[in-house]
Amino acid sequence: MRTLSPRLTQRIAFSILFAATLFVILPVAFIIGVILKNGLGAVNWEFLTAMPRASMREGGILPAIVGTFCLVAGAVLFALPLGLCAAIYLSEYSKDSRLNRAVRLAIVNLAGVPSVVFGLFGLALFVGFFRFGASILAGSLTLGLMILPVIITSSREALDAVPGSFREVSLSLGATKLQTIKYAVLPHALPGILTGTILGVGRAAGETAPILFTVAAFYLPRLPRSIFDQAMALPYHLYVLSTQVPNVAPKIRYGTALVLLAIVLLMNFLAIAIRSHFRAKKKW
Amino acid sequence: MAAPILLTESLNLFYGNFQALKNVNLSVAGRRITSIIGPSGCGKSTLLRVFNRMNDLVEGARVTGRVLLDGEDIYAPGTDLLSLRKKVGMVFQRPNPFPISVFENILFGLRVHQLAGKSKDRLREIVKESLESVLLWEDLKDRLNGLATNLSLEQQQRICIARLFVVRPEVLLMDEPCSALDPLATARIEELMQELKKNYTIVIVTHNMQQAARVSDDTGYMYLGELVEFGATQKIFTTPRDKRTEDYITGRAG
Repeated sequence: MRTLSPRLTQRIAFSILFAATLFVILPVAFIIGVILKNGLGAVNWEFLTAMPRASMREGGILPAIVGTFCLVAGAVLFALPLGLCAAIYLSEYSKDSRLNRAVRLAIVNLAGVPSVVFGLFGLALFVGFFRFGASILAGSLTLGLMILPVIITSSREALDAVPGSFREVSLSLGATKLQTIKYAVLPHALPGILTGTILGVGRAAGETAPILFTVAAFYLPRLPRSIFDQAMALPYHLYVLSTQVPNVAPKIRYGTALVLLAIVLLMNFLAIAIRSHFRAKKKW
Repeated sequence: MAAPILLTESLNLFYGNFQALKNVNLSVAGRRITSIIGPSGCGKSTLLRVFNRMNDLVEGARVTGRVLLDGEDIYAPGTDLLSLRKKVGMVFQRPNPFPISVFENILFGLRVHQLAGKSKDRLREIVKESLESVLLWEDLKDRLNGLATNLSLEQQQRICIARLFVVRPEVLLMDEPCSALDPLATARIEELMQELKKNYTIVIVTHNMQQAARVSDDTGYMYLGELVEFGATQKIFTTPRDKRTEDYITGRAG
């Protein structure tokens, strides 16, 4: 049997690896391309700032944009303090490896729960049991639970990445443990925590299932007045436009998708920018 | 010899079942430089970390015997660790300023001890005094807001020393403070130590025997957790009493 020359083998292997890499980029480029091409024409000032009209076939998507921002803000307000406290406890205080293992297992499982299950859970707990009704509060809490694992995991990694010598110096200067965390650890973990939170936000902004039963209004052409109001939200609005309302101009559907995609991608870019900004400054 | 500032009596330290310090009886005189030498793993760093109780952070560490600072047992129940560590400052092997400005680094100890609420001018005064005492003020007075981690290693180590002064320590513990520095920087830090000795009691751990001989007034030789020999530096290096000390300083062991 003839064997290929090492040089040729190398070239083939390189081509395969290169093709695989390209293949990853392809769908992203394709999705963005199609949505841009079909949606860009729809996006203008009125589309972003007006109420929907004529059963959502005309007008803008302002209430869905506002609704999504409210939901995401609520989710972060709930999940960031909770997740950060948990991460600090796990990273700085807990020495009990069994508790640590149990929590890590719980986080992995929480991250693996399908989003529609979160939706049903939110319906049962927040909408039903706590009687919040279908509301921004219930939806935010549900989304908050969903991004909790992202926030805990990334906060913990950020805290663990702070060199032990910072803690040692701080303690050796007579700081208490809490002061050490506050002054010598948290400030240096903040970029990582922020990055994780923004990634969580991006995820929360795009999810449909968790808000389906807990907050999302089919058609509500006004802005929410309180956290107990129902609200429209971009992902659900897109679903409604695409499947529930006949004769919607494709332009409006794609325009909605474009706005949602832009928000999520913006979040991701922001996270990347923060991370690289601080990585460049980091010297330890 | 003046009255000791630091004194250990039958000090034993265990990490779990491993005994790292064996019946150490050491007395450190005030405003002198005491060096602890010995081969790697002999327990000299552990001994240093007894004096500010940093070993408490190691899980399973246990101490028996007494350690007196100014006549008070720092291992007595109810000892205030925070004020102990204010009194006994530590300089580490690798220069470890925080990746924040020089100014903020120097003031870190103040922040922690809530002596804040001082005017901006007063804070600058404090920073100036601290940096002057490590001979850095002239070099850095225009760069106080720059990152401390961008400075040379020697300057970083000086900042780590200066950082201690704002909490007004009595004793400075130095854990191989020059091992990350080049010979010139080492010489300059050693000069600084002579200067600091006028106001502070210094205990330095080093595996550089020449350094111990150059800078210290008293020297202790440790081997396998024991303080084999302790006395005036000159005596230890010229007429050691113990065979093990002699072997080490003449380069036959360690």
